Amino acid sequence: MPRRALALIGLAAWIGLLAATPWIADNYTVRVAITIAMFSAMALSWNFIGGFTGYPSFSTAAFFGIGCYVGALAQRNGVPMVLAWTLATVSVALFAAALGAIILRLKGHYFAIGSIAVVEVVRLIVSSWGSVTGGGDGLNVPLLQGSPDWVAAKVLYVMLAIMLAAFAATVLVDRGRLGFGLRCINQNEDAADMVGIDTTRFKIAAYALSALFCGTVGAVYASWVGYIDPTDSFSILLTVKVPVMALLGGAGTVFGPVVGAGVFVLLEEFFWANFLEWNRAILGGIIVFLIFFLPGGILRLDYRRLLRRTLRQRETGQKSPEAAE
Amino acid sequence: MLGRSWKFTANAIGVSTIALVAAGALGSAAAADDILRIGAPLALTGGLADEGKKQEAVWQLWLDKVNDAGGIEVGGKTMQVEFVQYDYQTDGKRAGQLAEKLITDDEVDVLMAPFGSGHTKIVAAVAERYQVPLLACVASSVSVYDQGFKYLFGTLAPNTGMTESMTAYFKEQMPELEKVAVYGRDDVFPKAMATALANSASAAGLEVVYDQLYSVGTMDHSAAVSAIKAAEPDWVYMTGYTQDLILGRKQMEDLGVTAPIVTMVTGPAYREFTEGLGDLAEGVTSSTWWHHATAYTDAIGPWTSTAAFYADFVEAFGIDPDYVHGSCAAAADVLVHAVQQAGSTDSQAVRDALAETEVLTFYGPIDFGENGMNQGRDMPIIQVQDEEIKVLYPAAIAGAQMKLVD
Repeated sequence: MPRRALALIGLAAWIGLLAATPWIADNYTVRVAITIAMFSAMALSWNFIGGFTGYPSFSTAAFFGIGCYVGALAQRNGVPMVLAWTLATVSVALFAAALGAIILRLKGHYFAIGSIAVVEVVRLIVSSWGSVTGGGDGLNVPLLQGSPDWVAAKVLYVMLAIMLAAFAATVLVDRGRLGFGLRCINQNEDAADMVGIDTTRFKIAAYALSALFCGTVGAVYASWVGYIDPTDSFSILLTVKVPVMALLGGAGTVFGPVVGAGVFVLLEEFFWANFLEWNRAILGGIIVFLIFFLPGGILRLDYRRLLRRTLRQRETGQKSPEAAE
Repeated sequence: MLGRSWKFTANAIGVSTIALVAAGALGSAAAADDILRIGAPLALTGGLADEGKKQEAVWQLWLDKVNDAGGIEVGGKTMQVEFVQYDYQTDGKRAGQLAEKLITDDEVDVLMAPFGSGHTKIVAAVAERYQVPLLACVASSVSVYDQGFKYLFGTLAPNTGMTESMTAYFKEQMPELEKVAVYGRDDVFPKAMATALANSASAAGLEVVYDQLYSVGTMDHSAAVSAIKAAEPDWVYMTGYTQDLILGRKQMEDLGVTAPIVTMVTGPAYREFTEGLGDLAEGVTSSTWWHHATAYTDAIGPWTSTAAFYADFVEAFGIDPDYVHGSCAAAADVLVHAVQQAGSTDSQAVRDALAETEVLTFYGPIDFGENGMNQGRDMPIIQVQDEEIKVLYPAAIAGAQMKLVD
């Protein structure tokens, strides 16, 4: 069986499990599933610029936040919800394309710092532009009508749909010309330029792709929680978490961001539920451990070798433990 | 060839195992009939930890008092009270998540909102969706209550009323008062106060010589303080949370701003403010919703008078209670009263009983208006004098004369 087919089956099972939560678990678990779908979509998005292209972007929170605000403002002005989500998606993609044309001239650390500054600048603008955005008061968004169960299920399916769309886009890019070009840029941008890849346009495309789905996620999030404010929408923590998830799973791979986001959110829930006082420290420790020992992400782990080694250890263990290696 | 697929399967197994472990660890508890379960997402770590811990502490004190008495009487039988609390780490997303967990997983009967207007809004949206009554004891911005929510009730009075009485009182104390500088944090409550004060001051004939907001997380106020200095105000009015105000006051000193009146809302209402500033806190005035110098008697709940609450509180913690303690303990009293009126913990009945509430607690009268907010009343003006908090206004509970900052 081709390996990718098996991986796809695994992914389908995972999505099926997430999609089944409204029927088999309570709303709190559904909320965790929504969070997983939301972060998977964002980690997949980040993968375009951070994984394929190798540009360490930290502007995820800016895209998410703008999505929140465009969606919320549109809805408050009478635009139907789904149209508001679309509007948010398009605006964020345009914003990223325009911004990308400027800051993608930076490379490496300079780009990382430039991209994180974008989050702060947008937050300050939103926060100061009180007449439109409500400033620090935040914005109330019309609550989704219906019973809590129905609302949770609806949000979950919308988020899963965004995640699937992001995944489909990843597969298309991975197999297409764009993905090839981006990988060339990742390896050596000058060389890529020399062999005829329009690096600027490719990078802008990757940056816009990395923004697109974050915008949708933001707008849906705003409709779901019913209240947004600048601090929450443009949180630095979010902008750091998403790349960590992608790296955890395996940056530049097709399945990595999904695995990373799932594992990260579940670990976060697990430690938070069990070690209230220490959860952040433990989580930080795990991240450091993973980055040190699994630099390629979980997907790059050679399980077969690990398993073989353990088996051999067990066989030879009784005689002489030294013979294990 | 099988390598990658095998890997992925192993991944899938690993991930699902974690999922199961996580689901199991979250656990669930069934709610019994004769227990009143109160859920509270609290900021016990992160930026609002000081405030969150106050809520936790005063509710523990309240709960001990109630349980020592054997519980509460509801419809002829005795009911036990339980608090279920979680730390949301001052993260708005998690506050909403926890509210949902408390409702669906822990099956609480009512919710208490966390500190601050912003996070109260997030929790209110969840409570409204599930139709669970929510008592907000530390959210005073009208914008929290004007969304037509039916299950949200707040024990603090609207904050805008504070600024009018303050302006009038200061004009009376210092007739030559002319110029005021307003500098507020761009955040729900501090912003509302700054805006309200600028309006009240203009309405009272004062000249507003400076009126700006600073964004959340500002670490340096020197540019603003310089501009304020240049405007030579008689009265500097700054709003924000304790850390902002401590920094603001220090920079005013560094840059030599000398105004006879310095008001910091709600700085001196918190002990951390006076402790953090030492001598610099001297003479700083503020408004607060409640002060323990008020003397209500014949109140409902475990404490029948303000003095009784004060005595218990000081004995337990060795410090004076502030308005967060007062308001939150009173919210618990009001809640119990509503459950007693409703005769059960049924959320619809409790909501209706809350809407009709008109009682006196040790914290003061509580009567929820149309929008669910406690009705306005005279709120105290306080000043730091000799490292102590003195009440200047209203006259009925005033304990000192106002001093100007020299």
